[in-house]
Amino acid sequence: MQAGDDMRCRQPAKTRLSMSLPSAHLLIQTLILGLLVGGVYALMASGLTLIFGVMKIINVAHGAFLILGAYITYELFQTFHLDPIISILITAPIFFLLGWVVQRYILSRIENPEQTSVLVTFALALVMEGLLGVTFQTNMRSVTPSYSTAAITIASYRLPVTRLAGFGAALIVILILYYVLERTNLGRAIRATIQDKRAAQLMGVNVAMVSAFTFGLGAATAAAGGSLLSMIYSFNPASQGDWIAKTLSIIVLGGMGSLPGALIAALILGVMEQLTAIVITLYWSPIVFYIFLFITLIVRPQGLMGETVRENG
Amino acid sequence: MKSKLLHLMISIVVISMLITACAPAATPTAAPATQAPVATEAPTAVAEAPIKVGASLPLTGDFSDPGSAAKKGYELWADMVNKAGGLLGRQVQFVIYDNASNPDTAVADYEKLITQDKVDLLVGPFSSKLVIPSSEVANKYGYAFPEPAGGAPHVFDRGLTNLFFCQPASSDTQGIPFVNYVLSLPDTARPKTFAVITQDDPFTLGVVEAMEPLLIAGGLTEALKEKYPPENKDFSSLAAKVADKNPDLIIGGTQFEDSVGQIKAYIQAGYQPRGAFFSTGPSLPKEFNEALGTSTEGIFSAISWFEASTTETNPEFVAAYHAMYGDEPIAEDSANAFTVGQVLQQAVENTQGLDNAKLIEDMHKSTFTTVVGPLSFDEVGRPQGSFMALQWQGGKSVIVAPDYAKQAEPIWPKANW
Repeated sequence: MQAGDDMRCRQPAKTRLSMSLPSAHLLIQTLILGLLVGGVYALMASGLTLIFGVMKIINVAHGAFLILGAYITYELFQTFHLDPIISILITAPIFFLLGWVVQRYILSRIENPEQTSVLVTFALALVMEGLLGVTFQTNMRSVTPSYSTAAITIASYRLPVTRLAGFGAALIVILILYYVLERTNLGRAIRATIQDKRAAQLMGVNVAMVSAFTFGLGAATAAAGGSLLSMIYSFNPASQGDWIAKTLSIIVLGGMGSLPGALIAALILGVMEQLTAIVITLYWSPIVFYIFLFITLIVRPQGLMGETVRENG
Repeated sequence: MKSKLLHLMISIVVISMLITACAPAATPTAAPATQAPVATEAPTAVAEAPIKVGASLPLTGDFSDPGSAAKKGYELWADMVNKAGGLLGRQVQFVIYDNASNPDTAVADYEKLITQDKVDLLVGPFSSKLVIPSSEVANKYGYAFPEPAGGAPHVFDRGLTNLFFCQPASSDTQGIPFVNYVLSLPDTARPKTFAVITQDDPFTLGVVEAMEPLLIAGGLTEALKEKYPPENKDFSSLAAKVADKNPDLIIGGTQFEDSVGQIKAYIQAGYQPRGAFFSTGPSLPKEFNEALGTSTEGIFSAISWFEASTTETNPEFVAAYHAMYGDEPIAEDSANAFTVGQVLQQAVENTQGLDNAKLIEDMHKSTFTTVVGPLSFDEVGRPQGSFMALQWQGGKSVIVAPDYAKQAEPIWPKANW
C-alpha cells in the first residue's frame, strides 16, 4: 500500500506536458504519415462539405455512413476476399442509392430543413449505430488484406501500403468529384444551387433532383471513405461519433461547403495530428482538431476557403 | 402529416433492411441490452428458488473480447454446478448486465443487482478499471466480491476486505517472470535498451511500471516511455518515434486491440526489436493469431492459466468448455471467471449458507481448489502465487517460465515480425 501510494504520487511529474524535439528524419517521416492520412480525411470530409454547400444541411449521419461502408467492406472481404479498394466499386453505387432515398424520403420532407436537419440526421446516426451494433456486435474490427502491414521504403522513409493506397484512392475519388462539379452540366447545376438556390430554380435547375443527387454523391464518398478506413483503423459502431467529430472539424476549418477548402484543411489537420503525437504526446492528437475548430470559429468563422455566410432571405 | 410520418417509417424500415441484408454472416446472438437481464439456466424441477448470482460485464465496447470470454466462464460454471445437483441443493441462476466497458454503468448495474434484483451473490466484472468502482458498491452493501480480472495496485491499496482477486498473483507482478528471464540472458545476448509504450489504464500501467525498475536495476537503459489514451486507434506516429530510437526490447502495456495496433504499426515502420513483451493480447490464443498470423512469432506475454495444465479440476473444466462452446482455444479470461465460480462455490459449501459476511470470512482463511491451482488470499484479497511467461512459437503460445510449468525453451532473439 505504501508502494502503491508512492507510485501514484510520482505520476504527475512523469505525465506533465513535455516537448521533445524530434530528429529531422523522424520529422519528415511524420510529415509523410500526416499527409497520407490527411488525404483519406479529405475524402471522408468531401461528401459532408458538398451536402452542406447544396442544401445547407449538416449531415450528422455522415460518420454512421462511413462506418456502415467500413462494415460492408469488412463483410465483402470476409466472405469473398474482395480487396477493400475494389469494394469501393460496389459500396459507392449502393450508397449513392441509399443517400438518394434518405434525401428524397426523409430530409426533403421535413419542414425548415436548415434548422431541424441536424436533429433528424442525428437521429438517423443513432438508429444506424444501434442497428449496426445489433447486426455486427460491438467488437473492434478491421480489414486485413495481405498488404496490411507492408510498407514501401523510399530514401529510408517508410510509406505504409494501406495508407498510400488510401491516399491514392482518395485522390482519384476527389478528382472525379471535382471533374463532375466543374465540367458537367449536372456539376454546373450543383454549383448554381450552392450559389443561389432560388436563382438556380428560376433558371430551370431541378433543385429537388440536384439535392437528392448531391446527397447520393455525398453518401458515395462516405462509402469510399469507409472502405479505406476499414483497412487503416479498427472500428466498431460507436466509432461513428469520432469520425463525425473529425470530419466536421475539417469542413469548418476548410470553409463549410468548399471542396478545395476541405482538402487543404484535411491535410493540415492530418499533419498537425501526427506531429502533435511525436512532439508532445498522443494524448493531444485528438485535441488538435478541436483546438483548430475553436481558433477557426473565433478568428475566421467562414473557414479557410469559405465565403462569409449571408442570410439569404 | 400522416403521409410524412408514413414515409419516414418506410424509409427507416428500408434502411434497416439494407443494413441487415448486408450482413448475412453476422451471428444473431446480439449482445443483450443493458436493460434486459440474461437468465442463464431456468430452474427445472427444483422446489426451492434458484440462487441468484449477479454480474455486470463489458460485453460491448473496449473490453468486449475479454468480457465475453468471462461470461462464458461464468455460465459454464453455473451449468456444471446445476448438472451436478446445484449449490446447497439449489440451482444457480446468473443475472448478467452489459456495462459497455463503462465504469459508471458498471456501478449502476451493481446497485441494481443488489437493490432491485436482490441477488444472493455477486461476482466481479473484467479489468481493474471497472472492478475498482464496482467493488465499492459491493462493499457498501456487505457483499463478498470475488472477481476475475482486477489486479492493479489500486485495487488493493484501498484496503477493502470484501474483494478477492481470483488469479494466481496480483496483476502488477505479471511481467516479472519475463523480466527474470531477460536478466538471466548472457551479457552478449541481453538487450541494452528498452522502450515502454503503454495504454493509460490502471492494469497496464501496474504491469509495466513494476517491470521498469527491475530492468533498469538489471543494467538496461530506458530509451522511451509513452502513454496513450485507451481509445487511441492510430499508432503510426508513435511507431515512427519508437523506430527512430530503435530499442532492443519493446514492452507494451496493452489490452488487446492496441497490442495488434502497436505491432502492425511497428512492422510498417520497419522496427525490428530483439525481444517483445505485451501485457494482454498475446495471451488471447484465438484472436491474437487471427489478427497477426506469422508476425506473432517470438512475442512474449504473461498468463495466469493455460489449457494443458494438469492442476486439479482443470482437465474437467477444459473438457466441459469444449463440450459447451466447441473446439476454439479457451481464453484465459474464461478460466479466471470459472475460478471465481469455484471460489464462491467452495465458500458457500464451507459455510453452508449464503451469508456474505461469513463468506468473506471464509475466503480470507480457506485455500481453494481451482483451475489455476490452490488459491488463498491475503487481508486485502491479493492472491498468493505467481504468473507464468508465455511465448508464441510456431503459431501457438507455450509456457516458457517458470521452470515448474515450462512447456518449451524460450527463443531469443525473436524472428522478424
